[in-house]
Amino acid sequence: MDRIIRAYSRLIESNLDRPELVKSLIRFGLEVGKVWVDHFNRNGIPPSLRYLNSICFQFILEPLRHPENSGFVNLLAPAEILHSMDIYPMFIEAYSSFVSGFYCEDIFIDRAESRGLSGTLCSYHKTFLGSLEYSVLPRLKFAVTSSILCDGNSNTFKYISKSYKIPYYIVDVPYEYSEEAVRYVTSQLREMISMIESATGRRFDIDRLREVIRTENETRGYQRLCIERLKDHSMPNTLTFEMYKLFVTHPEMGRKETLEFFKLLSEDVLKYPDGGYRIFWVHILPYYLYPVQKHLNFNDEFKLIGSDLNFDYLEDLDEKRPLEAIARKLILNVNNGDFRRKIENIKRLVTDLRIDGVIHFCQWGCRQSFGGVMLLKRELEKLNIPFLIIDGDGVDRRNSPEGQINTRLSAFLEMLTGRGKR
Amino acid sequence: MTGYVCKYTPNLIIESFGDRTLRIEPEVSSCEIADGLTHPNMCSYARLVLEECLGKHIDKIVLVNCCDAIRRLYDILKAEPSVKFIHIVDLPRKRDVIDRIRFKNEIIRLIESYQKSFDVNFSAEALRNLLNSSVSTTKKEYGDINIAIIGGRSRRSLEKMIEEFGGNVIYNLTCTGTVPPFRPVGSLFDPVEAYADILLDSYPCMRMDDIDERLDIIEEDKRIDGVIYHTVKFCDLYSYEYAMIRDRIRVPILKLETDYTDNSEGQVRTRVQAFIESLKRDSNKRMVTVTGRKDIVIGIDSGSTSTSAVIIDSNKSILGYSIVPTGAKSIESAEKALEIALKSAGISKDDASLIVATGYGRVSIPFANLEVTEITCHARGAFFLDNSVRTIIDIGGQDSKVIRIDENGNVIDFIMNDKCSAGTGRFLENMSRVLDIPVDRMGEESLKWKEDIEISSMCTVFAESEVITLIAKNKEKSDIIHALNKSITRRVASLIEKVGGVKNYMMTGGVAKNTGVVRCLEEKIGEKITVPKEPQIVGSLGAALSGLEKLSDKIDF
Repeated sequence: MDRIIRAYSRLIESNLDRPELVKSLIRFGLEVGKVWVDHFNRNGIPPSLRYLNSICFQFILEPLRHPENSGFVNLLAPAEILHSMDIYPMFIEAYSSFVSGFYCEDIFIDRAESRGLSGTLCSYHKTFLGSLEYSVLPRLKFAVTSSILCDGNSNTFKYISKSYKIPYYIVDVPYEYSEEAVRYVTSQLREMISMIESATGRRFDIDRLREVIRTENETRGYQRLCIERLKDHSMPNTLTFEMYKLFVTHPEMGRKETLEFFKLLSEDVLKYPDGGYRIFWVHILPYYLYPVQKHLNFNDEFKLIGSDLNFDYLEDLDEKRPLEAIARKLILNVNNGDFRRKIENIKRLVTDLRIDGVIHFCQWGCRQSFGGVMLLKRELEKLNIPFLIIDGDGVDRRNSPEGQINTRLSAFLEMLTGRGKR
Repeated sequence: MTGYVCKYTPNLIIESFGDRTLRIEPEVSSCEIADGLTHPNMCSYARLVLEECLGKHIDKIVLVNCCDAIRRLYDILKAEPSVKFIHIVDLPRKRDVIDRIRFKNEIIRLIESYQKSFDVNFSAEALRNLLNSSVSTTKKEYGDINIAIIGGRSRRSLEKMIEEFGGNVIYNLTCTGTVPPFRPVGSLFDPVEAYADILLDSYPCMRMDDIDERLDIIEEDKRIDGVIYHTVKFCDLYSYEYAMIRDRIRVPILKLETDYTDNSEGQVRTRVQAFIESLKRDSNKRMVTVTGRKDIVIGIDSGSTSTSAVIIDSNKSILGYSIVPTGAKSIESAEKALEIALKSAGISKDDASLIVATGYGRVSIPFANLEVTEITCHARGAFFLDNSVRTIIDIGGQDSKVIRIDENGNVIDFIMNDKCSAGTGRFLENMSRVLDIPVDRMGEESLKWKEDIEISSMCTVFAESEVITLIAKNKEKSDIIHALNKSITRRVASLIEKVGGVKNYMMTGGVAKNTGVVRCLEEKIGEKITVPKEPQIVGSLGAALSGLEKLSDKIDF
């Protein structure tokens, strides 16, 4: 399989002067991937995760299949509004992950850097921007982003807008919660909706948004149930599945498929008893790194219980005032504002889920996350929770020293077994 | 004393309470304290500010949530018991009416926080007076070579350096160069509201949403001769702008990236000096003294790994040359190279009219009459050897450069690697030790490769650990060296693309002797690369040619 993907990667690389062909090749690769996950590669994978695999390919393919009815978004864009207008979001960080899955990330990253983009910029953004520079991305109707989680969003989305000459909107999320801040974000959401309406010719209907919010609330209920059940159970998991969950906990929240996934997950959790050391992950996961896969993918001894980004907002939204509710959700996201909010959330999850050890992945170029890593370490030490820092890159293999990561992780897991379970 | 870092900080609010404010310009060059409190890949400026605040006991600080690094700096400082007062101002990204109201409320929040912490009362009149006394109308005058600095924050020493090399900084549009557009605030206006407007109307930084006006000044002022685009290591906001504008700006542009310390000053000086040299409409008018009896010029290239000297006469004939390894003291190596070259030419030092120094150690050769950067010298040398050359790839001991020249041999653009040694001679030297093969045999050995393996890391340290892993897997030496060559090639090809390389290509510097690297690079860029017979003397040859030009320019010596 690996050999086939590498040959496919070389095919993409050798045709970069023919962007339309590469665009088709990327879509073809993803279509084949969807067939593969739907009909093969199913052994031993719980039904909920098989379903997750399938819908994530669907989510990444939708904007490629229907560019005339799609927009670029970041992780924390208010995508509920797009769902209510039947518009497909292209989640740019996920696109980069899939490209990396094809072993093509270096080609696009090098292209972005050769244009002058910084070598230290987040590789998710660089892979995406390199694809843009090679014109192998479809021209979608618009680009919307929020100012959270990181600085890259605002400028990456402006770059998309200027390169493809499409309208763009940034929702500036205030640092702290207040009623004034909610009004401020709500008024921006209204402006954003006007922009989307004029870019797509579609009409926004607040009742359709209420329907999306109802689905989201029902989904959140199942998500909270999963967390409750995870306290006494553990699920088979992989780095890739944990990354896939970012789709359903963020830009695809509010969709029926997402609801179905969490329903299935809440049933699956009950099938797997507790056992092994319980590991909690902070920040994104380097799905391709063999030393980490070896220790954490479907491993009975070390169970990957969850990652913090998938638990950054768990409350119901007020369907009577949906725009205000989305505004609140953005401002109150634990990753917005003071870093202590994130720390408190992790401490709560680590305690509730009876975690034995926490691994923080310092993604290359992600200052918002690794900037506070020592504060988090200090707080977890107070709870007597072992904490490991791994430096690497979730996309660019060149920035992840495998040997060193293997040593650090193996030593950490040995240390956990030496301590015994909590 | 209250410290701050961002130009959007409402520091006059603090001053209106009678406190003094200080824009923190870190003077420390290492981060012992900061390294224990945050990650080494944090923006180097934020780490230096952290070090400065804790090391020099700045215990009152007002920050703006201008970027991810400063937000985390706030979180870290807030957790430090020695910090008495820390406040973060939430700066809106937009500048509509609603944003102005929000920013005014943010300033009120700062006033309330300061009042509460120090039990003092705010005076609107005091603020009004400060605002009115900040109004200024002075404008800088144009000079011979007018430079605009743009990008993220830059150290004051950069401006000084530009002026030292003959440039006139007409605009400094970095975070550290611009001041808010102060205007008089009459008694009928609320000074807090007026101040919020003044700050939001500042020249926008890359954090702001509407940045279109950032380039207006540069595009409208036709008297600007060159632009220096400065960014801080691990601050990525400005690279977006650089990528968007590099083809749009009509004047030459130099991109500089520093870690905000003096650690990389040598390389920064070379770049700035070379850039200004390339902008000079009139050639270097620096007074030099001619002592020799004949029209003989000596060029000395003091590089990090080797030092070379070339002696030419007025017919541009090479009378003698030498190459010696650079030892612990660059002056001793320069003296040795000179001595050998003089011997091979059969002349004495007194016969020479001019000695021109280039390379990293050029500033440390006291007997040289003139200094010219290696960028200009490699261009001169390569063009002299082959006037069809338009792109020169120079890979030396500690840096790699790609230089583009026009049909007259003038430098039109150039790029250098950053201070990391990936893709340089030093990288190959390290690997030769790991692989236990002399560096001069690596090229030949690599041509025997059979298995196409990859070394993914371009970092010297990480690549070394990859090489060790490959050795452990019993991979063939030739295959590993070929993989290393490909790694260097990727790095250099990216520089070529950045500078827009065009044929014909020439490679200079010590690494040009490595046939494996040259072959890989030719395959990567799809073009033939010429390598001169002695690639290590191209810089010193260029230095000598530059000296000869000075003699023939009939400048009043």
